Amino acid sequence: MLWVDKYRPKTLDKVLVHEDVAQNLKKLVTEQDCPHLLFYGPPGSGKKTLIMALLRQMFGASAEKVKVENKNWKVDAGSRTIDLELTTLSSTHHVELNPSDAGYQDRYIVQEIIKEMAKNRPIDTKGKKGFKVLVLNEVDKLSREAQHSLRRTMEKYSASCRLILCCDSSSKVTEAVRSRCLNIRINAPKENEIVKVLEFIGKKEGLQLPSGFAARIAEKSARSLRRAILSFETCRVQQYPFTSNQVISPMDWEEYVSEIASDIMREQSPKRLFQVRGKLYELLVNCIPPEIILKRLLYELLKKLDSELKHEVCHWAAYYEHRMRLGQKAIFHIEAFVAKFMSIYKGFLIATFG
Amino acid sequence: MGKRSIVVLSSSDDDAGECNDNDDDFSSKSSSSFFNKPKSRTVSVPRTNPKGSKKVRISSSRSHPGKNVNPFDEMKLFCEDFGESFTGFKVSAGNRKDNKELWLDKYKPSSLAELCVHKKKVEEVKVWFEERICITKDDHCNHVLLITGQSGVGKSATVHAIASHLGATVCEWNTPTPTLWQEHIHTTNAGLRYMSKLDEFENFVERIRKYGLISSSLTGEQQKPFIILIDDLPVINGKISYGRLQQCLHLLVQSVRIPTVILITDYSREDTADYTSRCWEDLQTFLQSAGACKVAFNPITVNSTSKTLSKICREEKLRITSDQIDVIAKASGGDIRHAITSLQYFCLKSGSIRNGFHKIDHLDDGYTLPFGRDETVSLFHALGKFLHNKRDTENCTASDSFFIKEDFARLPMKMDTPERVLSQAHGQARPIADFLQENVLDFVHEEAMDDAWVATSYLSDADTLLASLTGVKYKNYVAENIIQSTAASVAVRGVMFGNRHPLSSRWHAIRRPMMWQVEQSLWRNKKEIIGQRTTAYGGLNLSDLSIIATEWNPFLKWLGFQAFEDSKRHLGSTSGQMVHYDDDRRLVDGDDDFEDEDDEIENW
Repeated sequence: MLWVDKYRPKTLDKVLVHEDVAQNLKKLVTEQDCPHLLFYGPPGSGKKTLIMALLRQMFGASAEKVKVENKNWKVDAGSRTIDLELTTLSSTHHVELNPSDAGYQDRYIVQEIIKEMAKNRPIDTKGKKGFKVLVLNEVDKLSREAQHSLRRTMEKYSASCRLILCCDSSSKVTEAVRSRCLNIRINAPKENEIVKVLEFIGKKEGLQLPSGFAARIAEKSARSLRRAILSFETCRVQQYPFTSNQVISPMDWEEYVSEIASDIMREQSPKRLFQVRGKLYELLVNCIPPEIILKRLLYELLKKLDSELKHEVCHWAAYYEHRMRLGQKAIFHIEAFVAKFMSIYKGFLIATFG
Repeated sequence: MGKRSIVVLSSSDDDAGECNDNDDDFSSKSSSSFFNKPKSRTVSVPRTNPKGSKKVRISSSRSHPGKNVNPFDEMKLFCEDFGESFTGFKVSAGNRKDNKELWLDKYKPSSLAELCVHKKKVEEVKVWFEERICITKDDHCNHVLLITGQSGVGKSATVHAIASHLGATVCEWNTPTPTLWQEHIHTTNAGLRYMSKLDEFENFVERIRKYGLISSSLTGEQQKPFIILIDDLPVINGKISYGRLQQCLHLLVQSVRIPTVILITDYSREDTADYTSRCWEDLQTFLQSAGACKVAFNPITVNSTSKTLSKICREEKLRITSDQIDVIAKASGGDIRHAITSLQYFCLKSGSIRNGFHKIDHLDDGYTLPFGRDETVSLFHALGKFLHNKRDTENCTASDSFFIKEDFARLPMKMDTPERVLSQAHGQARPIADFLQENVLDFVHEEAMDDAWVATSYLSDADTLLASLTGVKYKNYVAENIIQSTAASVAVRGVMFGNRHPLSSRWHAIRRPMMWQVEQSLWRNKKEIIGQRTTAYGGLNLSDLSIIATEWNPFLKWLGFQAFEDSKRHLGSTSGQMVHYDDDRRLVDGDDDFEDEDDEIENW
C-alpha cells in the first residue's frame, strides 16, 4: 500500500493538517443533521481525506466498506434512451462518483443518480428514514446544464439525500449551487505542515531523515501534500539512507514542459513553433490538462525571463488561458500563447542585442 | 413490390422500367431511363408515357409486398401493366412525337460511337461483357462489374449501349419508390406488412442467386444473353443495414452467374462529411475485395461534351456559337446530362435565336449563366488559396474609401473574397480552422514570428467563436449559421492578414490536422485511465483524471509497481516516446474524409 493511502487519517480526530476544519465538521455532524457541503481547494490539500473521515464520523466504520461498480444507467431523455456507463464507489450509506466522466452527458447522470438514491433510502436504527450521502467529485468540470439540473434535484430530494461536492475551484460552480451548500475551503497545506506530516510518516516507518530533507521535499511539492508524500516514498525507493542533497526527481511531464520552455527560449521561429506544437500534443495525449500545461509553461518561462518582460508575458498567458476556457480546442490557444511569447521575446532580443 | 418483381422476372422490363421513370422528375432520374430509340427495344410493349394512369398504379402497387407475390399474381400484374401501358399509349403518343421532347431522351446514345464516355473505358467495359457473354461460360471468373463515377458521366448509358451492341437484354433493378410515412400508416392499417427497401433488395438478390432468370423462359427469349443492372443500391442508414447490404452484395458477387453490373454514383467530394456517402466508398472497396471488377468513369471532358452538344445543335438546326457551347460544357462540370438539359433550356430561353443574340453574348464572359451549376472548388484548393495568400504586387486601387494605418494595410488579394471561396468549397468552419491551424506555420516566413502570432491568435479567436455554439440547449439555427460563417471568416482572413510575408509559392503538402489523431488518442487514454482507476488504486480512490495523470502516474512509475505496468506504458518518457500516431498524416488531395467528432471516435 502506498504511504499516501497508508497514512491517510481515518477519522476526523487524527487529522494532522486541517485540524480546525476537522473539529468543526465533527461538531457539525454530531450535533445535527448536516447540510449539503461543498469542499473546495487546490489539489493535494486533503479534501478527499476530510470527506472520507467525515463519512466515517457520520456512519461509523460501515462507511469504509465500499464496493466499486461499473453501473449502467438508462436515461429516458424524451425521444430516446441514453446509455451511460459510470464507475461508482458505494457503501450502504453513500455513493461516490465523478459525473464529469460522462462528458457532455453529465446532466443525465446527476439527475438520474439522485433520483435513484432518493427511491431507496436506508432506514436507520431508530426506524426513522435516514439519508444517503452522494459525493460528487470535480463539480467544477460539470457543464452548466448539469449544474443547473443539480440545483433542481438538490432541492427536490433534499429530504432523502445529502450532497457532498468536491472541486478545485468554487468559481466554476454556479452561484445557485454554492448558495445551497455550506462552503468549506480547504487551503493548501503550508510547507511546515507538510514537513510535519513527512516527519510523522518518517517516524512511523522508522526512517532517518537528514535535517532539511523533508523541507526540500515540501518545497518541491508545490504545497500538495499528496505530491509530497508520493515523492517522499519515491525517494525512499530510490535511495536509502537519505542524504541531505539527494536528488528529488521532478515529474516527467514537468521536465518535459521545461524542455519545451528551453526550446522556446533557444529559438523563435515558426518552425520552432511547429515543433513545440508537436511536443504539446504529446503532453495533451497523455491526459495532462491543458490549463496545467499552460500554467507550468508560464512558470518555466518566467524563471528564465528578464523581469522587464514578465508583466506582459503574464498578461498574455492569462488572456489565452481565458480563451482556452471559452474555446474548444486547447491547442489553438496554447499555441497562440507560445507564438506571442516568441514574438515578444524575439523583439526583446533584437532590441537589446541588435 | 409486385411491380418490381415483374421488372426483373419478365423480360418486358425495359418498358415497365421506362414507364416508371418517366413519371419521375427527369433530371434526377433519367440516368436510369432507357433508350428511346426504337431499335434498342427488345419487347413489343409500346413505350409510352402514361402519366395519369401510371401514378395510380405505382401507389397501388406499393401495397404488394414483393416476396409474397406468387407467379400467378405476377403474371396478372404484368398483364395489368401491359394493359395500362397500352391504354396510355394513345394519350401520350402525340406528345412524344412533337419536338418538345426532352433532348436528353431524344439523343440518348444508342451505339458505342455515340457515347461520349472515354473510349478506353467503354472498351474496358465492353471487353468485360464480351468475356462473360460471348466467349465461354467458365465458372471461375467473376460476374460482377462495378462502375463508379459522378452523376451524369454516362454509366448506365454505357451499359445499355454495350448491351444493345452485343444484343443482350438488360434487366434492371431500380430502387423501389420510397414509402411515405402516411402511406405506411395507411397500408399498415390495411393489414399489409411493411417491407423495407433493403428487404426487397435482399429478396431480389436471393432470387437472382438461386434461380437466375428462369422465368424469362416464359416469354421465350432464351437465345439472348442477359445482363443484370443494379442501378441504385437501396439507401442505407446506420451500421446494421450497412452490414446487411454488405453481406447481401457479398453473396451476390460470389454466386451470381449472370453478368451483373452495379452502378455506384460518387458524390462530390465536398459532401463527404456525410456518413452515407462514405458508406458508398467503403462499399466500393468492399465489392472490389469481394472480387468484383471495378471501372471508374471520369467526368466527361469539356471537349467531348461540347462535341456532343454541337452535334445536337446540328441536328436541331440551332445556331449557337461554339463559345456558347463551350460555356455550357464547362459549366456542366463533366455532367453530360446536365449539359444537354442546359442546352435545351438555353435554346428554349433565347426563343428564336436571332432575336436573342445580343442577349446571349454577355454570357461569354463566363461570369454567370442563368442556369448551370455553381462553380465549386475543392476544399484543398481553397485551403491552398488561403495559405499561399497570393496578392498583387502593388496596390493598384488607390485607397479611395478610407485610410488605413500602414500596419494594417495589405495588398489586394489575387482571388475572390475569402467568403466566396469558402462557400464554393462548402467549407465548414471547424475543419477549415483545423486545417489552417495545422498548416499555416509552413507558409509563414522563417523570420516572421509576429506574423505567426497574428495568425495563431486569429485562429484562437475563431475557436472561441466556434465554441460558443456548444452547450446551447435550444439551438437557434440562424444564429448558429452566422457564428459558423463568422468563425470561418475570422480564421481565413486572420490567416491571410497575419501572413504578411508569405513564402514564395512552392509545393506544399497540406497535412491532415494532427489534432484529430491527438484527440483520438487522448480519448482512448482517458478511457483507459478511467478504467484503471478503480482496479489499480486499491479501490479506494476515485481521483480526478488530471490528478491521476499529473501526480499518480509519474510517481507510480518510479515506484515501479508491477501492477501499474499498463499505466506506465502511457506516459512518454522525457525523450519523447509517444503514443503512436498513424502514419497517414500526409494527405493527398483525394482522401479528405472528415468525420464529425462522434464519428471520429467511433470509426477511426
